[in-house]
Amino acid sequence: MSFKEHLKSVMSLYFVIVTLINAATFILGEIFRPDERFGYDAFLSPLIYAAIALVPMLCMYSKKELTLKQHIVRELLQLISIEVILIFFGLGSKSLEPENIALTASFALSVFIIFVLVYVIAWLLDIKLAKQLNSELKSFQSRVLEMSE
Amino acid sequence: MDVKISRIPEDENELVDIRCHKETDSVREIAAFVRSRQGQLTGSLEGRQYAIAVSDIMYIESVDNRTFIYTSSKVYESKQRIYELEDILKPKHFLRISKASLVNLMKINSVKPALGGRFSAVLSNGEEVIISRKYVSDLKKTLRGDET
Repeated sequence: MSFKEHLKSVMSLYFVIVTLINAATFILGEIFRPDERFGYDAFLSPLIYAAIALVPMLCMYSKKELTLKQHIVRELLQLISIEVILIFFGLGSKSLEPENIALTASFALSVFIIFVLVYVIAWLLDIKLAKQLNSELKSFQSRVLEMSE
Repeated sequence: MDVKISRIPEDENELVDIRCHKETDSVREIAAFVRSRQGQLTGSLEGRQYAIAVSDIMYIESVDNRTFIYTSSKVYESKQRIYELEDILKPKHFLRISKASLVNLMKINSVKPALGGRFSAVLSNGEEVIISRKYVSDLKKTLRGDET
């Protein structure tokens, strides 16, 4: 895959990540800080977090076709980098304080769930495209066979 | 080598007759080209040359600058480059599906998603070949009958 295609495929995930971050913020906020109120600048947070989450995905680009094992290792490295970057960007040094352990763990779990959901959504979209390709493939093969008879 | 073209009556079979002192690689290349124009490719297997019917080919792959032709049960090596075969085989329903492979669209049973945003083509003999994301739009266009 060329870098341009990689960039396109990563960017197509951006708004999926923004939506999932919004949902995670709502759930975590309701649990840990239900009375907290924000200004309009809070609307920017999901956009910024999603952009930050894309950085490791962009950096770990490989021109080579990866094997299954290499692919899994790359995804794990991406998940670890995203977790570390977002925890320190979102919670800062507070994340290591004992009274914030529950919040940090929930934040890390949310990042993990969003990471998995992004892949599940991308996979579902690919299944939909594969179904469409299969139906077009069958019509193509029938057309060619009819023409050759 | 001189080239001579003679017209023959319609009721006689057309024939390309190569008269050479020795069967060199260039002679074999000319023979392979002529065969490829008539629905056959030439491939070598265990030191012997074979004429392979295009309709028997599942896919063609280039590995380390060598080109391999895969049928349902055998793998032949070809002297032709993958881009040359792409030009010859395009009208025979072959399509480039990655930088290094061409597939016979008539031999694909189904397409399914694979890891890394790619797709996998399941062939009629059960083998799977990877379709790079870059070539998915070409595949769509070809299947719909649009120009690629």
